[in-house]
Amino acid sequence: MKAKRAVRQTKKLLEEVGVDPARLKMYNIGASDAPLFAQAANEMTEIARNLGPTPLKKKEKLA
Amino acid sequence: MIVAEKKPFAQIKQMVQDRKKIMIMGCGTCVAVCMAGGEKEVELLASQMRLSNKLAGKNVEIIEATVTRQCDREYMESVLDKARECDAVISMACGVGIQLLSDLIEEIPVYPGVNTRFIGTNESEGVWLERCMMCGDCILGETGGICPIAICAKGLVNGPCGGTNKGKCEVSSEKDCAWTLIYRRLEKQGKLDNIRAIFPPKKHGLHVNPIRQTNEAYLHAEMEEAHHG
Repeated sequence: MKAKRAVRQTKKLLEEVGVDPARLKMYNIGASDAPLFAQAANEMTEIARNLGPTPLKKKEKLA
Repeated sequence: MIVAEKKPFAQIKQMVQDRKKIMIMGCGTCVAVCMAGGEKEVELLASQMRLSNKLAGKNVEIIEATVTRQCDREYMESVLDKARECDAVISMACGVGIQLLSDLIEEIPVYPGVNTRFIGTNESEGVWLERCMMCGDCILGETGGICPIAICAKGLVNGPCGGTNKGKCEVSSEKDCAWTLIYRRLEKQGKLDNIRAIFPPKKHGLHVNPIRQTNEAYLHAEMEEAHHG
């Protein structure tokens, strides 16, 4: 519950700053659910790929 | 406790947009409890500011500090020198703390990081309710410990009005009728006769801004000291 609330709050904070909140997502996965973990990791990779490099890193490179 | 809420980030950012060294100062008392301006909220705002500045390609130094009580001078001494080295301070304390800080570092602008809302209690997780309007003429002894000025939408000291509806208020069905609450409380205390009492109009003259209160014991001690040299 606490973690869920923290993630919801952090998404809001990121959005306010100008970072896409889709970059953060919480999954409930049991320690024995390796396939589920792999599925979540793939999903997050796909999301990150679609969103492109983080705008924060772009700025770093420019500087 | 004093209840506050964090200002929208865009508003805070706009207030300090041209500053190069900013201190974010929290308060460890009321605003920490209502999760608006304590140490944790200072950390979160500082992180947001850093991310936002990085995105904008700005080089701004952000300093964090939290004192036990920003409304008491003795707690402030330790952070004042650091604050004076900054271009601006964002205070996450209530309006009282913000003003005291500004009094203490007059040459540095202090911006509010929160909106101060009311004096209230924590009703449930993340929910606060206004409880006291600081009228300076308390009648809680007669109303079963429930303040009709704060809880009644009309602030009626003689109620209920015609808008009471099965324990709820005509203003909103989510609001409890203060006078129904008072009736039920007095019933439990065996003091229902209190409901017949007619209260005279509130003495609004007691609340002429700004109120200054003096403890007589201290006043006399000061006078004696002056007298005896």
